[in-house]
Amino acid sequence: MGLQEQYRKEAAELLSSGEVKLVIGYGEGTTADRRRPVFVRSAELVSRLVLDASGVANLSAYLVPEGLLSDGKKVAVFLKPDGVRSINILAAEAQLDPGQVVILGFDIEGGQPTPLPGRKASDYAPLIESLKGSGLSPELQAEADRLEQMGAAERFEYWKEQFSKCIKCYACRQVCPMCYCRRCIVDVNQPQWINTSSHTLGNFEWNIIRAFHLAGRCVACGGCDRSCPVNIPLRLINHRMAKEALDTFGHYAGESADQKPVLATFRQDDPETFIL
Amino acid sequence: MAKIGVFVCHCGENIASMVDTGRLASTISDHPGVAVASEYKYFCSDPGQETVKKAIRENGLTGVVVAACSPRMHEQTFRKACAEAGLNPYMLELANIREQCSWVHTDKEQATEKAIEITRSLVEKVKRNNDLKPISVPVTRRAMVIGGGVAGIQAAIDIASAGREVVLVEREPSIGGHMAQLSETFPTLDCSQCILTPRMVEAIQHPNITVMTYSEVEEVDGYIGNFTVKIRQKARYVNMETCTGCGDCIQKCPVKKIPSDFECGLGNRTAIYTPFAQAVPNVPVIDRDRCTYFKNGKCKICQKTCQINSIDFEQQDRIETIEVGAIVVATGFQIQNTAMYGEYGYGRYKDVITGLHFERLASASGPTAGKIRRPSDGKEPEKIVFIQCAGSRDAAKGVKYCSKICCMYTAKHAMLYAHKVHHGETQIFYMDIRAAGKGYDEFTRRAIEEDEAGYVRGRVSKVFEENGKLIVRGVDTLLGRPVEVVADMVVLATAMVPQPDAKDFAKRIGIGYDEYGFYNEAHLKLRPVETATAGIYLCGACQSPKDIPDSVAQASAAAAKVLGLFSKEQLEREPVIASVSDSTCAGCWGCVTACPYNAIDRRDITDRNGNVIKRVASVNPGLCQGCGTCVTFCRSNSIDLAGFTEKQIFAEVMAL
Ligand SMILES: Cc1cc2nc3c(=O)[nH]c(=O)nc-3n(C[C@H](O)[C@H](O)[C@H](O)COP(=O)(O)OP(=O)(O)OC[C@H]3O[C@@H](n4cnc5c(N)ncnc54)[C@H](O)[C@@H]3O)c2cc1C
Ligand code: SF4
Ligand code: SF4
Ligand code: SF4
Ligand code: SF4
Repeated sequence: MGLQEQYRKEAAELLSSGEVKLVIGYGEGTTADRRRPVFVRSAELVSRLVLDASGVANLSAYLVPEGLLSDGKKVAVFLKPDGVRSINILAAEAQLDPGQVVILGFDIEGGQPTPLPGRKASDYAPLIESLKGSGLSPELQAEADRLEQMGAAERFEYWKEQFSKCIKCYACRQVCPMCYCRRCIVDVNQPQWINTSSHTLGNFEWNIIRAFHLAGRCVACGGCDRSCPVNIPLRLINHRMAKEALDTFGHYAGESADQKPVLATFRQDDPETFIL
Repeated sequence: MAKIGVFVCHCGENIASMVDTGRLASTISDHPGVAVASEYKYFCSDPGQETVKKAIRENGLTGVVVAACSPRMHEQTFRKACAEAGLNPYMLELANIREQCSWVHTDKEQATEKAIEITRSLVEKVKRNNDLKPISVPVTRRAMVIGGGVAGIQAAIDIASAGREVVLVEREPSIGGHMAQLSETFPTLDCSQCILTPRMVEAIQHPNITVMTYSEVEEVDGYIGNFTVKIRQKARYVNMETCTGCGDCIQKCPVKKIPSDFECGLGNRTAIYTPFAQAVPNVPVIDRDRCTYFKNGKCKICQKTCQINSIDFEQQDRIETIEVGAIVVATGFQIQNTAMYGEYGYGRYKDVITGLHFERLASASGPTAGKIRRPSDGKEPEKIVFIQCAGSRDAAKGVKYCSKICCMYTAKHAMLYAHKVHHGETQIFYMDIRAAGKGYDEFTRRAIEEDEAGYVRGRVSKVFEENGKLIVRGVDTLLGRPVEVVADMVVLATAMVPQPDAKDFAKRIGIGYDEYGFYNEAHLKLRPVETATAGIYLCGACQSPKDIPDSVAQASAAAAKVLGLFSKEQLEREPVIASVSDSTCAGCWGCVTACPYNAIDRRDITDRNGNVIKRVASVNPGLCQGCGTCVTFCRSNSIDLAGFTEKQIFAEVMAL
């Protein structure tokens, strides 16, 4: 029995026993290699669930809409380790109770989904610990290294060019599990800190602020990258912030459900390299 | 419609010499919303303030910008003037065109442009100011003094004698600090113990003072008027209430050869001990690391000896939480370890000692009962060489500053030696003799003229041992030739440096320190006993090297500041506080974690039936200090700070 069958069966059991009220998984998409989220509420419909190497999206973002979890009932969700980390962050930031999330865990290895046994976020602590510091995919890492080699001016030019493409569609924000604010700072217009027109300054303000808001929180799921209609390599800038948080403060986003936000806490021995 | 008055101050020449104040006033008078703009030599003077008041009344001003010095200097002055003219005092802004402009620039043209920008930006801000009312908070009228040296003792006694409660916290088993170690004190040569002990006793017997020895401050929370301090009282293993201080246990303790810190290692103590005979409180402590019972589980001789059963091996550290309104930091200093001068042989030759060792040798209660004896063989030294500035004023190896007391105590040592060993000879190598102070120069003259102290101006390059003597090689810079002196003992006037944990301690209680670890005062000249943290004061050698008269004077000054604070039951606080927008708060609690004053709580928003719809952050106005940390943290931009609202700051920035 393939993993898809196994998880369909498990989903059906969870639903019919009343253990969960909803299963969030992947379903057929518009093309053969695209998946769209499906929300299954009854055991009869589990055949809509698809699990193969195309199931890359981080579905944890679908858990935070207001009201979904407020009845205290549980929801099962297909998650890769990056998704489990985002569950931990959402829990640490009081956006959900991890006890309400049943994880149908998997990872993709050699073009195949492979099962991960943990059903609770806390089961993943050893796995997350072992991933700490593991970086990007080889291609992205090569690009990240190339950026690192550049001088500041050259790198600035690189991002200027990238950001100049941004059309302010906010797809990156919509897809990101960490972007759960009911009102995003970009929508504040009294006063209007961030220019909303798509010119270089406004684009810079938006993308840099978003990168800062994800510092120590991004789990590198790649959602923003994939959703960006103009292909800005957003994960690179978020990964750079993650690296900073790890190297400087030993902070790996989503390690546990009681992790403290890296930018709101300090230790006495924090390096003060930025104080001149 | 905004009617803003702008008042450009010359500050004598301070501003006018670098900023064209006339041009500033005339340019700004054309800015939209500015009703009047004038300039004057000193707006902070009485006639200057009158001008401001008159302009407010006559023009019905809605806001005032004084382009002058830093708000730290005169914000209060002009707020008062506004209030007297009937304008809400928070409708005033100070445009700092002195510290941030005229003082730091050299090009008048550019400085004037900048001054115009600064002023314009504050005009835009003040247009968006709102009437605010100060907040009243209660004051806990109890003080904590941290450090029980002479400075801390004096501060505690002064506050207590004015009728306020004081908790005096000392980490050693006894109060007294360094002064308890000194023999006789300059500039009067009175016995240190004789003048200190009565103060120590007064402190412990004072009905308003609680002395907590062997105790350390673990955590300080809160703010001026309302601090919460967590204190760890280390286990003494002796019952403080019942012990009479008879000392039988000390007599019987079999571990006798522990070098005593108080005696600078020149004498020994037992495992159960009081650091010195006049210790206050006179209750011994057990040194857990050296006690045979704690090491091997066998002994308890002290317990068997104690007639009243005061030894308690089961005692545990106790944590106490104390509410106080003000804190005086008096944690003192230590002397620098002079081993960094390999050429002086400190640590290598037993007879090369520090000034503090000499104090113990000269002290009647010291290990030699006041007789000057060489540590190596107990012989009376015939010749002593003193080396001043051993560490001080030496940017390369020691510290850059002058330790201030060493010239004086070296002269004192030479005198004491002359009084005790009549045929003894002294040579003092010095860079300068710094003896400024009442009776100080007279004191060093007396050492030279009456007690024949031999001063040699110059530095020592090397000290080495030969045939049981110390050979001191140096140079006499007045004669311009090398000298070599054969001595029996060498005394180093080592630098006064901060406590080893000074920086950590400062971080723990939230005060600033300089590059060395001496604590920073709020203003070196005008606020020398306050720290930048309101409600925390300084005295004694923790701030800078100091002798006893200075430490004591500063202690009384700090006490006066505390008593001033305690003179009212309520404290007026700036109404600069944060508030959260319920509709946009995402309830991430980042601000709750970030707030250094624990001023943010979680609040449920319920519907009419009492069902929780949402939980949001909520600022407690009594606790908020207006630091703005939460504002910068909040990703959804849901927090704003009264007096520094986003609209105000935005307008300020956009006006540049
Ligand atoms: C060799 C020598 C000779 C001197 N001779 C003279 C002299 O003749 N005349 C003169 O006027 N001055 C003299 N002085 C200077 C004098 O010793 C100091 O001016 C004085 O001791 C300063 O007092 P203080 O209370 O500030 O510091 P200290 O005496 O150092 O007292 C500080 C106290 O705070 C305690 N403490 C430290 N940290 C903590 C903490 N975290 N928590 C709780 N408690 C803490 C310490 O244990 C200590 O008891 C001499 C100094 C030296 C070194
Ligand atoms: S910023 Fe992008 S990569 Fe990071 S968690 Fe959000 S969607 Fe995923
Ligand atoms: S998804 Fe891409 S184009 Fe859209 S707002 Fe984000 S960065 Fe800009
Ligand atoms: S940081 Fe902002 S969003 Fe988060 S709890 Fe505080 S006010 Fe609300
Ligand atoms: S401004 Fe915000 S962070 Fe600062 S004390 Fe007030 S509530 Fe706390």
